[in-house]
Amino acid sequence: MELQAVLMAAGGGSRMMELTYNTHKPLLPVGNKPLIWYPLNLLERVGFEEVIIITTKDVQKMLTPDRLKLDGKMKLDVVCIQLEGEMGTADALRHVQQKIKTDVLVLSCDLITDVALHEVVDLFRAHNASMAMLMSKLHEFTETVPGQKGKKKAGEQRDFVGVDATGQRLLFMANEADLEDGLTIRKSIMCKHPSMRIRTGLLDAHLYCLKRCVVDFLVENKNISSIRGELIPYLVRKQFSKSVNLPNNKDEVEMSQKMEGQTNLGSCKDEELLRLTQERSCWNDHHGDMSEAYHGGKVRCYVHIMEDGVCYRVNTLAAYIEANRMAPKLIEDPPIHPSAVISECTQVGADSIIGASCQISDKTSIKRSTVGASSTVREKVKITNSILMNGVTVEEGCNIQGSVICSNAVIGRNADIKYCLVGSSQRIEPDGECLTVTQNAVSV
Amino acid sequence: MNMAAKTAKQGRPGARRAAVDQDEEEQPLQAVLVADSFNRRFFPVTKDQPRALLPLANVAMIDYTLEFLTSTGVQETFVFCCWMSDKIKDHLAKSKWCRSNSSNTVHFITSDTYRSLGDVLRDVDAKALLRSDFILVYGDVVSSIDVTQALQEHRLRRKLEKNISDNIVVAVDSKSKRILHYQKTQGLKKLQFPMNIFHSTSDEFEIRHDLLDCHISICSPQVAELFTDNFDYQTRNDFVRGILVNEEILGNQIHLHVAKDGYGARVSNLFMYDAVSSDMIRRWIYPITPESNFVDEEGKSCTHSRHNVYRGTGVSLGHGSQMEENVLIGQDTSIGAKGHISNSVIGANCIIGDNVILDRAYIWNNVHIADNVAIRQSVVCDGVEVKTGVILKEQCVLAFNAVVGPDVTLPEGTVVSLHHPDEEEEEQDEFLSDHAEAGHNKATKKDKANNSKELGTEGQGYIWKSSSLDHTKEDELAQSLWGLVLNPDPESDSESEASEGSDQPGSRTISPELDDIKVFQTEVQGTLQRGLEENIGCDNLVLEINSLKYAYNITLKEVMQILTRVVLEYPFFQEGADLSTSQYNTLLLPLLKGWAPVFKNYVKRAQDHLNCLASIEEFFLEHEAHWGALVLMSAYNLDILEEDGIMRWFSQEGTTDKSKLLRKNQGLLKFIQWLEEAEEYSEGD
Repeated sequence: MELQAVLMAAGGGSRMMELTYNTHKPLLPVGNKPLIWYPLNLLERVGFEEVIIITTKDVQKMLTPDRLKLDGKMKLDVVCIQLEGEMGTADALRHVQQKIKTDVLVLSCDLITDVALHEVVDLFRAHNASMAMLMSKLHEFTETVPGQKGKKKAGEQRDFVGVDATGQRLLFMANEADLEDGLTIRKSIMCKHPSMRIRTGLLDAHLYCLKRCVVDFLVENKNISSIRGELIPYLVRKQFSKSVNLPNNKDEVEMSQKMEGQTNLGSCKDEELLRLTQERSCWNDHHGDMSEAYHGGKVRCYVHIMEDGVCYRVNTLAAYIEANRMAPKLIEDPPIHPSAVISECTQVGADSIIGASCQISDKTSIKRSTVGASSTVREKVKITNSILMNGVTVEEGCNIQGSVICSNAVIGRNADIKYCLVGSSQRIEPDGECLTVTQNAVSV
Repeated sequence: MNMAAKTAKQGRPGARRAAVDQDEEEQPLQAVLVADSFNRRFFPVTKDQPRALLPLANVAMIDYTLEFLTSTGVQETFVFCCWMSDKIKDHLAKSKWCRSNSSNTVHFITSDTYRSLGDVLRDVDAKALLRSDFILVYGDVVSSIDVTQALQEHRLRRKLEKNISDNIVVAVDSKSKRILHYQKTQGLKKLQFPMNIFHSTSDEFEIRHDLLDCHISICSPQVAELFTDNFDYQTRNDFVRGILVNEEILGNQIHLHVAKDGYGARVSNLFMYDAVSSDMIRRWIYPITPESNFVDEEGKSCTHSRHNVYRGTGVSLGHGSQMEENVLIGQDTSIGAKGHISNSVIGANCIIGDNVILDRAYIWNNVHIADNVAIRQSVVCDGVEVKTGVILKEQCVLAFNAVVGPDVTLPEGTVVSLHHPDEEEEEQDEFLSDHAEAGHNKATKKDKANNSKELGTEGQGYIWKSSSLDHTKEDELAQSLWGLVLNPDPESDSESEASEGSDQPGSRTISPELDDIKVFQTEVQGTLQRGLEENIGCDNLVLEINSLKYAYNITLKEVMQILTRVVLEYPFFQEGADLSTSQYNTLLLPLLKGWAPVFKNYVKRAQDHLNCLASIEEFFLEHEAHWGALVLMSAYNLDILEEDGIMRWFSQEGTTDKSKLLRKNQGLLKFIQWLEEAEEYSEGD
């Protein structure tokens, strides 16, 4: 086993409380599948046979193979942690360190992507990297988001990512918020990598390949609590520190010892050969001089940047809606579940998904929408650009547009709902009309 | 690498733009060639010959520049000369560029008043010489780059393009090839990029540290206007910086074109001279090669044979002489027996003796080199005589007509010239152009007395010594003839590493505030010492301490604490740390007496007394052995401390065992008792 997969599924979804109020984030339906299905499917597609899922007790109860609709070949090793809010991703990884025997692939449960995973892993392998990660071009969300008037606020702080001329080596990483005094790059880095590309507008997919020794390093440094927030920036910076370190910088010494000590951690013979090949080979990774490959750096970070393809992190409402829109393209199942009952005089667009045991009555049109399992849609209903979760009942003559209707809600007759978010088990009165609805939905 | 430059006012009406474009097609392509460097990098060589005429692979540098311009399709070139303009004129008048069939018309514009590139361009604007986009080059650019593509891009864009020079970092918007930031990195450990350059719409920026500026600029006519408008622009760097800073306001932009192939470089120092010469001989600048004789002059033709050995006509080579590789020998030069020559250029009409070793030597015309001479990586100018047994180490320069030898070894970096190094200072006012920065080079000193020793018994000339150490801060580049010393700086790495370490968890550096206090303390000590030595009045000392207080932003309380501490430490400072108590006291008491007015100035309120006592206590906690009531008593007698203060301090119980112990000192108890009695006595009175 070369890589162990660790799936982080304990996050609370604090950036989209509207949706996670009743449903746990890993179980939010996207294209009628729970969100966690997507990363699991990604792993399964490339042949992972076992995955460690770190999650909370509540979610564990719901995680039945039946629900996940996986082929069942993959063994799920669910580890529960408590107090989701207080534990960072690095803490979680530390929590399962006993189970980790090899390098790890860490990913988040809210990742929906069609990336060829081997691209990232190949980078990791080819350069014997300490860390390889996935990034993607940031997608602009064009659709109107329910409950949000006007255009979304001027974006969050941008991330600045510096890569070398090949676009793969990760040289620099900082958030705009930390760069008030301007962007500073050490000259020694520029000497080693004379052409640096600073990119903004990238989405960190939160998918990391980490060397075993990095996990060991985490175990020893308990003050690092977040992978994205602390560990990765630390690794990126450490790439350019000298292996000869100041004695007072304990972390660094340990780190480099770890990096050197990796020969002890397993395949001793291979590492020895590797060292020999590097010594004997005249190959190096740069132009301009004959110094050894990677300038002798022990820590190396790489990034694979997806220029096209689908990559979403479902951590906001806007991303959730967008992901639902994309879902039909990612799922191979027929869009209309065989057990759904759809009467003949109904228009269901090819870009819509109808869940199991749905009942769709006459003269109804459903376009670019998702209808969850066991939902009932009566006559003369028009649903466009909307997401209906499980068990929703829509009475006659309703018009639903650009909205999200959470589980078990009931929409009364002739209701007109535009760009709304209707909370779970809410009732919209007949003839109601709502244009903006806040958390847990109100009707007029 | 090459670039183009032009500015466009963005708000220009479309109609006029079209008209301009049309004009352009009819206009001949013009170029401005600045045949003066406006700096002294090649000094003292340029004292006798302008830089543009210095031979590179036996051809004057300006010929390369003109060849480049002509092959690019330039039809009209304005040559601006200043230093030794007559020589340049004469040279060009004889050359093929001034023949009637030349496709490139050369005009001369001479003025002694040019002191910078800015002056030249302002003059261009004043004379209204240019009608459309033009190419701006220096007279020492060697290039085979086809700039036509850059020109076309430039016309399409109608914006400004510029290029990047050695040791420069730029931030480039990778999509529009617009230059956003441009910086020389000489001496910088960290590179700063202001955030505002990242605020543009693009989401991709490139930082390049691997580009060489070949100083070829394509400029729009507005460039000259801009130089006129901004009379403080002296160099192209000023201009580029000015444009970038004011980009948002004026809408002018600079673009860059990175030439992927071709050759382009500016011979800006001897290091570049060395590099470009060897590239020329190794045929990297093809189609410009030594044997092509592109200048079409008599006597410049030569043959090319294996290992890049070029020989002019009439070359004679002695028995057993080896020309290993990359050697160019000008016409009618004769070389003696058993010589060993590699990677060198030898000019015309030279006479070289037997057993001569030349490696990376650049020997110009009419040079006499006697037997048994070894020359490595050095430049030997016209008419020089090198006597027998002379050894030139790396990076030596023998300027025009100097004589060296016999049997001397010149150490690394020696510069010999017939001109006296002090001359320039006397004649400074006459120096223009090439000498414009004369003030910078005052560091060069003559050393006449030792000349015969260093240059040999028959030597003629002066050794120029540039004490570049004194000048490192000003302009390192201007100082050394051979350009940069490229030695890696391992220290800088570890240092920056250490500073970076500070943002790691667990390692915090001391706050800078403390450092201020330290500095303040040493300053106060220095002030008091000076006061003692020069017998300065206490009022003036107070003034000085007060100004220091403001300089380092020290509170009044801290001033007093530090003052107390300095005074109490002073005996140690004077006589060393191991003083006996009695010695200490005898030294301290006169000091206290002398400085009592200073203390009184700072110790006024009751709180001040307590603070002062606390400082005294703190000091004596560190020097317990010297503790005695004597200090307090004398302070009391000198009215520095008042009775109430001392009593209150005494009544405050010490917080630590040590300070309790301090208060139990016999002498102190007696003193306190005496104070109490005196009080009672006065009350009773």
